[in-house]
Amino acid sequence: MNKDNTTNGKFQISKYSNIIFIIIAFSILAIFYFIPTPDGLTHNGKVMIGILLMAAVLWILEPIPLAVTGLLIMIIQPIMHVIPPNEVFSSFGSQAIFFLVGAFIIAGAIEKHGLHRRIALRFLSHFEKTPRIFTFGIMCSCAFLSFAMPAHGVAALFLPIVVSILISMKITPRQSNFGKVSMLCVAYGCSIGSIGTLIGGARNPLTIGLLSDLSSPVNVTFFDWMIYSMPVVFISLPIVWIILQLSFPIEINNITEAKKEIKNQVIKAGKMKKNETIVLTVLLITILLWILFSSHPYFGLAVIAIIGSILLFITKTINWNDVEKRVPWGIILLYGGAITLGIGIQKTGAGTWIVNALFSTVGINPIIVVLVIIILTVLLTNIMSNIGAVAILLPIGIAVSTEIPGISPLLSAMIIALSAGFAFMLVIATPGNAITYSSGYFSTKDLFKAGSIANIACIIVIFIVAIVYWKGYLHM
Amino acid sequence: MLKIKKGPMFKKILVPISSEYYSKEVLEKTAFLAEKFNSKIDLIYIIEEKVLNQTDKLSNGYRTSEEIAETKKAIIREQKNTADNIVFEDANYYFKNRNISFEEKIFEGEFSSVVKKETNRKDYNLILMGFEKECFLNYRLFDELDIPIWIQSKSDGKSILSICSNLAPNQKVPEVSIKLSKLLGWELIMLYVVDVEDSVQVDKNGKRSDKKPERDLLFNGNKFVNDMQNKGIKVKLVKGSLEKNTLKAAEEINPNLIIVGREQKKKGVLGLPFKHLKRKLAEKCKYSLLFVN
Repeated sequence: MNKDNTTNGKFQISKYSNIIFIIIAFSILAIFYFIPTPDGLTHNGKVMIGILLMAAVLWILEPIPLAVTGLLIMIIQPIMHVIPPNEVFSSFGSQAIFFLVGAFIIAGAIEKHGLHRRIALRFLSHFEKTPRIFTFGIMCSCAFLSFAMPAHGVAALFLPIVVSILISMKITPRQSNFGKVSMLCVAYGCSIGSIGTLIGGARNPLTIGLLSDLSSPVNVTFFDWMIYSMPVVFISLPIVWIILQLSFPIEINNITEAKKEIKNQVIKAGKMKKNETIVLTVLLITILLWILFSSHPYFGLAVIAIIGSILLFITKTINWNDVEKRVPWGIILLYGGAITLGIGIQKTGAGTWIVNALFSTVGINPIIVVLVIIILTVLLTNIMSNIGAVAILLPIGIAVSTEIPGISPLLSAMIIALSAGFAFMLVIATPGNAITYSSGYFSTKDLFKAGSIANIACIIVIFIVAIVYWKGYLHM
Repeated sequence: MLKIKKGPMFKKILVPISSEYYSKEVLEKTAFLAEKFNSKIDLIYIIEEKVLNQTDKLSNGYRTSEEIAETKKAIIREQKNTADNIVFEDANYYFKNRNISFEEKIFEGEFSSVVKKETNRKDYNLILMGFEKECFLNYRLFDELDIPIWIQSKSDGKSILSICSNLAPNQKVPEVSIKLSKLLGWELIMLYVVDVEDSVQVDKNGKRSDKKPERDLLFNGNKFVNDMQNKGIKVKLVKGSLEKNTLKAAEEINPNLIIVGREQKKKGVLGLPFKHLKRKLAEKCKYSLLFVN
């Protein structure tokens, strides 16, 4: 391996191009600092747009880690005198941050004791009737588990399970449509499941965090989120599965070997251990508390997440070593940068200015605006980290709601947050795609073929849900 | 120098299979050639480091280093299982049943680096592999090795299309083509392309001349055609782009194999080939190719 070359995030880039990308990012910021301020925009607003574009370049090209870009966004605002340091860093006090920390600790305990594997096998064993139903089972199991833990972890869990089943069935990599569909069901099941609850992807807490920090705060509870997102999940899952079946018609009829392999794996896992039972109980209690008591005037999301984590420590099912090993602190820093970016864009009036500039050409028909936001988010999430896509688009989306009648901040935020989950087309779009691609069972061409059709279908699903259910029925 | 001068052809064949791309046709063709030439086979399965690194880098930030390492281990473990239970079992089916001697190994690393290391370790007469455009297979292999490289596709014809031109030394291609055609019993069709877009003449040592007038290039082409005809080989002389004419002839003839030599194309910035004919052929051509350097 040539050490000078790294497949860094979205593109394979050398260390020299990394330096060039950093220079480009800072040059954009410098240009925005020095150019004359356009009408209707303040100097600080102009600099914030520069910071937004700089962040976009760094998040797309990834010359530095995503989390470091998050830190850079935080420090650059006080350096440029746009937002004072105390205001920037106070964003870190958001309860969504502590919700994330708690949720990661709970997910860490699930992974440590292999509870996720047991749940996955139990779930899969209910779908052993035909190869087609089995692939649907894979998709549903991935989606279901992504409701309770981060989607990337679920993809990593399912990779060895599904590959060992495919090997036991003597399914040849690349040549079998059953192999392709099974692996793509893992990738897409995780992506679709990740939008279902606040735990599936860090972009979900980021969205509610930004909404709660608005001048007129919008509070979304755990249960509210599920009410908004679940129709999208349950409509998208079968549609995407059908698209996979049509794109790669399954060539086998017999599932006997898969049954045997799952049975073997269940036997190998043995009886449920005490620690697994404790973690499962804590998880169920936490979810129940999130559903029933995360709204005002009760405890809020973060308090419940931390209660769940502390219960795990008290029951000794997790220790601090595990937390150090299993909590991705980088996401927390990325979140910090993203939320300060959102607040800065909003406070300086940059968001409003961008929206006016953008929609003066396409008009202000709310239905067209909704469609444009969905398409833009899906395109962006396919070429950059989905939390980065949300961080860039959310402040603009919220500004849309202040400028365009008929679109509320909640509506535009939900549209962006959910659309950002549909990173189906490229290996580089999300870690889940890359993890499943490494199995060798599908090609990048297969992913693009099925992913582009699935993306179009999901754009239509979100659009219909947004107009009919969120706007029409829930009056969002 | 090329290692197919005397004695039986393809005595030792290296069959590298990337974890990114596996095709049974490669094993099938290897078995066919090994039977014909009584070859020994080294089958290596390469777990692509680039794919592992890509997964690591994409997960960076989202997952902890501990989790990323666990996933990497799981991927490697499953890749080894795939090699043992699918690829090597297929190899058993194709080779053992025909009493073909073969060895199998698993490597982790970058495809062309592993292949090059193996060719440095042992003397091979042929590398036989599959190819897919989107894979990360490194094209350096095509240029840097002096061992013939056979890229197997799903072609099913019964002829060889042999390509000579003003851009190649035209030493090895006729020799290998004639030998293979006789041994395999496949019809040989030879094409000499006068590439007017790159009007130089490459000498026997692979050195490009200065630009030459078209009539000189045609004269050399006709001389080659006559030489071959004296040996009883029919050669068709055409004028135009080497790449386009090769693809056009392939479409017309539907050959089982296209044999291409050491074309010396114009160099671009930083000495990189201006046009990479071999890469383009591998990407565009649906027929099997044999690159004879």
